[in-house]
Amino acid sequence: MTTKQQLISESPYKPVLAKITEYVRETHDSFTIKLDWKIHHQPGQFVFCSLPGIGEAPISICSHSDEYIELNIREVGNVTKKLGQLKVGDELLVRGPYGRAYPMRDFEGNNIIIIGGGCGVAPLKGSIEFIEQYRNKFRDVSLFFGFRTPDDTLFRKRMDVWKEKFNMHVSFDKVAEPSKACYDGSQGFVTQKVNELVGDNTNTVVFICGPPIMIEKTSEILLNKGFKEEQIFVSAERLMYCGMGKCGRCMIHGRYTCLDGAVFRYDELKDYKDD
Amino acid sequence: MSQQYVLKKENFNNFVEKVMADYDFIAPVKAKKNILRSKSLYQKISNPEDIFLDDHSYHTVKGFFNDPREKLFDFDGNKIINPVIELRQRVFFGLRKCDLNGIWHQDMVFLDNKHQCDPFYKARRDVSVLIGLHCNNGFEHCFCNSLDLRSDFHDLMFFDKNNDFIIEVGSDKGRKIIEIASDFLEQGDNLLTEEDRKIKNMGHELKTTNIKKFYHHEDWKTKGADKCLACGACNMLCPNCHCFTIEDDVDFSLKKGTRIRKPAPCQLKHFTRVAGDHIFRQDKTARFKHRIYHQLQYFQDRHDVQFCTGCGRCIAGCPARIDWIEIINNME
Repeated sequence: MTTKQQLISESPYKPVLAKITEYVRETHDSFTIKLDWKIHHQPGQFVFCSLPGIGEAPISICSHSDEYIELNIREVGNVTKKLGQLKVGDELLVRGPYGRAYPMRDFEGNNIIIIGGGCGVAPLKGSIEFIEQYRNKFRDVSLFFGFRTPDDTLFRKRMDVWKEKFNMHVSFDKVAEPSKACYDGSQGFVTQKVNELVGDNTNTVVFICGPPIMIEKTSEILLNKGFKEEQIFVSAERLMYCGMGKCGRCMIHGRYTCLDGAVFRYDELKDYKDD
Repeated sequence: MSQQYVLKKENFNNFVEKVMADYDFIAPVKAKKNILRSKSLYQKISNPEDIFLDDHSYHTVKGFFNDPREKLFDFDGNKIINPVIELRQRVFFGLRKCDLNGIWHQDMVFLDNKHQCDPFYKARRDVSVLIGLHCNNGFEHCFCNSLDLRSDFHDLMFFDKNNDFIIEVGSDKGRKIIEIASDFLEQGDNLLTEEDRKIKNMGHELKTTNIKKFYHHEDWKTKGADKCLACGACNMLCPNCHCFTIEDDVDFSLKKGTRIRKPAPCQLKHFTRVAGDHIFRQDKTARFKHRIYHQLQYFQDRHDVQFCTGCGRCIAGCPARIDWIEIINNME
């Protein structure tokens, strides 16, 4: 009996190389990179970025194009801090895309309300770009963004464009006096703006992404206004390692965030947000 | 009707030696004194005398299918080097009903083509022949009679009947073993009664597997999590638990290294820790419940198959002696 050596050349864990073609520093702790990686993806999906020797991290796609991919990354962990030190021309390892996307086709002919808080704006940017590309398929589109301070504003250039195209409302939790950055928005939580301005729920869907407390409070306000649970789509964040329902780390009460999410309908998660 | 064969017990060692000529033979052996409280564990054997079938093995065989430090690939800077794994044809002997069902559940997770089949698991699984051994009697912590398990998932199944082993063939892989050892086997028909297929004297009983309504029950905390040491022994001993971590090991140059995959226990606090030090299941009760609900409800909801195999290893191996079967049985 002999020992057979088998080469594993095809493996779902094996990433591919992608080159950084653009690097924009957004705030003191976050940046956006553009990769020359051509994959077909849907708004709301995510990819794994890795640096050999450091590790792998799931990052949501914040663009919508088959030609390139943009990732907005906040420097909070080992991998993301190291990614922040890369520059244009550097290469990193990527695999994906993973996750269930926003069912955008089902929303055609609807009003869309997009609510983002902090770096939660990044995953929503993909769906906003989708709407821009198919603008005539959707009716009224409102954007509500909340940032900690004017200095934390993401995608400044895009915001100027969106302001012209959609009903956009930006709010800042805190505005330092005097603020270093120019800003256009009001002081207060994003929830206050939503409470003030959102009214009718007919033919409307809502996307929410942000810190758990913000998602919870915003959904509460919307439900009180008569929105149905099926009209609200929220994003969940969990630790994950594989992206294909094997590592078991991202499970929320039996649902895999990587396969069944990261976009969930509100009623799928409501009772088990903390699990 | 599956084919049946008779192997006289006096020929058992000859059978093993015959199979050992072509395959690695992995079977339960008695652990050395003072290790594992003298319980048995699966090992590759070289002498048929070593096989010990009187007890339920302490560990499962899952480590033979997923390497505890699986090499996903090597890297040198950004260059990826495909891994090579060493494979030998092997036979697992003495797998109980719970072990076999455990392997079937792992197959459902790792060989799932819809969500990408795992090539490492598949390669190891392809070279493995599974030979089961029917339990005539249950053991102290077993409760598999309370669960809905498959009894047809095996390549060969051994039934211990008086002075013979009755062998049932379950697949082509098993038939090949029969051909190899045909000198010691006699073909037969209808050798097993309904009574022979039953497992008697089970130590435990789980009254209900429908625990949805108990999710907010306080007994999870008072009788379970408060005693739990969060050591993860139950995860390591479970034939089903398959959660893992992926991490990079680098050498001193900090350029070359290996991306490895290793098991991760959900009872440990860091299991759900994300960057920024947020831990989703911070509370021990949440982690305790997570494991039990995964065993009895989550997998059932997703695949319509009962995940827990009722082997009772998590109870036998728990240093705090938490008997979660009793906790559920006493819930109202």
